[in-house]
Amino acid sequence: MYAVQTKGLVKKYKTKTAVSGLDLAINEGEIYALLGVNGAGKTTTIRMLTCLSKPTDGECFVCGKNCVSQMSEVKKLTGISPQDTAVAENLTVTENLQFICGIYEFSAEKTAESVERLIKLFSLEEYKNSRAKTLSGGWKRKLSIAMAMIGEPRVLFLDEPTLGLDVLARRELWNIIEKLKSKITIILTTHYMEEAEKLSDRIGIMINGELKAEGTLSELEAQTGEQGLENAFVKIAEGGKE
Amino acid sequence: MSKTTAFSQRNLKELIRDPLSYLFCLGFPLVMLVVMTLVNNGIESSTADLPPGAVSAAPTIFQIDKLAGGIAVFGLTFLMLFTCLTVAKDRSGAFLMRLYATPMRSANFIAGYMLPTFVLGIIQIVITLAASLIIALIKDVELNVGGLVLSAAVLMPTVVMFIALGVLFGTMFSDKSAPGLCSIVISLASFLGGIWFDADSTGGFLKKLCDVLPFIHSVKAARLTCALDFENVLPHLLISTAYAALLTVISIIAFKSRMKADLQ
Ligand SMILES: Nc1ncnc2c1ncn2[C@@H]1O[C@H](COP(=O)(O)OP(=O)(O)O)[C@@H](O)[C@H]1O
Ligand SMILES: [Mg+2]
Repeated sequence: MYAVQTKGLVKKYKTKTAVSGLDLAINEGEIYALLGVNGAGKTTTIRMLTCLSKPTDGECFVCGKNCVSQMSEVKKLTGISPQDTAVAENLTVTENLQFICGIYEFSAEKTAESVERLIKLFSLEEYKNSRAKTLSGGWKRKLSIAMAMIGEPRVLFLDEPTLGLDVLARRELWNIIEKLKSKITIILTTHYMEEAEKLSDRIGIMINGELKAEGTLSELEAQTGEQGLENAFVKIAEGGKE
Repeated sequence: MSKTTAFSQRNLKELIRDPLSYLFCLGFPLVMLVVMTLVNNGIESSTADLPPGAVSAAPTIFQIDKLAGGIAVFGLTFLMLFTCLTVAKDRSGAFLMRLYATPMRSANFIAGYMLPTFVLGIIQIVITLAASLIIALIKDVELNVGGLVLSAAVLMPTVVMFIALGVLFGTMFSDKSAPGLCSIVISLASFLGGIWFDADSTGGFLKKLCDVLPFIHSVKAARLTCALDFENVLPHLLISTAYAALLTVISIIAFKSRMKADLQ
């Protein structure tokens, strides 16, 4: 069984086809990067996989559960850290985490245990009593990802996790994402080549809503006859124009 | 902990940690109480100069026994504003989206917005009425404590009504346009609620408009209860309760359909 599978997935808005005929098959424990420029359809894909948007056509599954007909099962299996950092600004780091525990109706003991575990995992100790609105972009993003982990998802979706972060914050977040590797399946979207290259087991290149190429870095290099992800990407993107 | 409790707690914290909400929800009504009492002093002392034998002016609507109920309703319009801002802000960022991806349902959202604001509304009314009592004691105006307590109870439907309006506006409008819209409603409600003038002494269209809208009925229900005039309270209480029920239903429908549209 795949952690994530899509079959001919399509999302059309009034005038725009955001995702067109997407076929993905992502294994459990994999880190899979959806790489594409702005407007390629990455966020739309993630929204459909997390029950935040209904496909116009095709099907999508998380751990074998249908994202449309088995929504409540899928919601239990997935966690999402949205592209725009979504935290409760006036709550402290600890309170934000406790709040999400409350939404999953954890007991007091389980809440305490989960909050402590995630604060440790994300090295948030120093800021645990700081209000979210006082945190820098990098720490906010860490909190946002920690919040996505509370529900103990089997599949974690990170939409542009390092967008707008400085070099150091980005590196630190990469380290954390690597720590999560193999424990859960991670689908991350990015338009940074080096991020996809550094973190992911496999890379899917999305252009105008379509998956144009897929594979490990060396597979993509072999397919295009280019060195490095950036060159491979450019070659694939230009091929798409013909 | 239940989903609704968790979301209520979060909303309560967001509200009470925003200093502006103190300023407007608690501070502003208190300031208006004091200011209007001073205005009333001015009116009274100018009529005190009248020659002996002239009919002394009847107590104005700014006398504390009338003012108390009016200002309590006025304060609730700000509760509406803050409810509206909370909902609109949550919608504008990705925060609601994140919660949509959890097992939260629309009922959890709506109850989670309404419960904490209801608690704040009660606190606000209690503080406003307590301050009124103090002013009444200082000014030596008769104000029945039992009447004040009962008028707090009579205002409960009005609390619900303003919260429902807040949820409705927060659902329908963006966090950019919502404040402007709310300030129009605040002005309308305080004007057509007969808080700042005696609507009954006007006539024609203005009076009809006041009577059709809920605001004056909330104010009158509170004032009459305060004056222990229970015979005349009921019609006003019924109208404000009906409006509260109607607007609550409308706001729930609006939120649900917005959520459905967001998830298309
Ligand atoms: N709600 C929407 N209504 C209309 N068009 C949309 C909507 N959401 C996304 N789009 C369009 O779909 C395309 C893909 O968007 P998106 O999935 O956000 O791309 P990415 O995340 O890769 O930057 C874009 O052209 C965008 O303008
Ligand atoms: Mg995006």
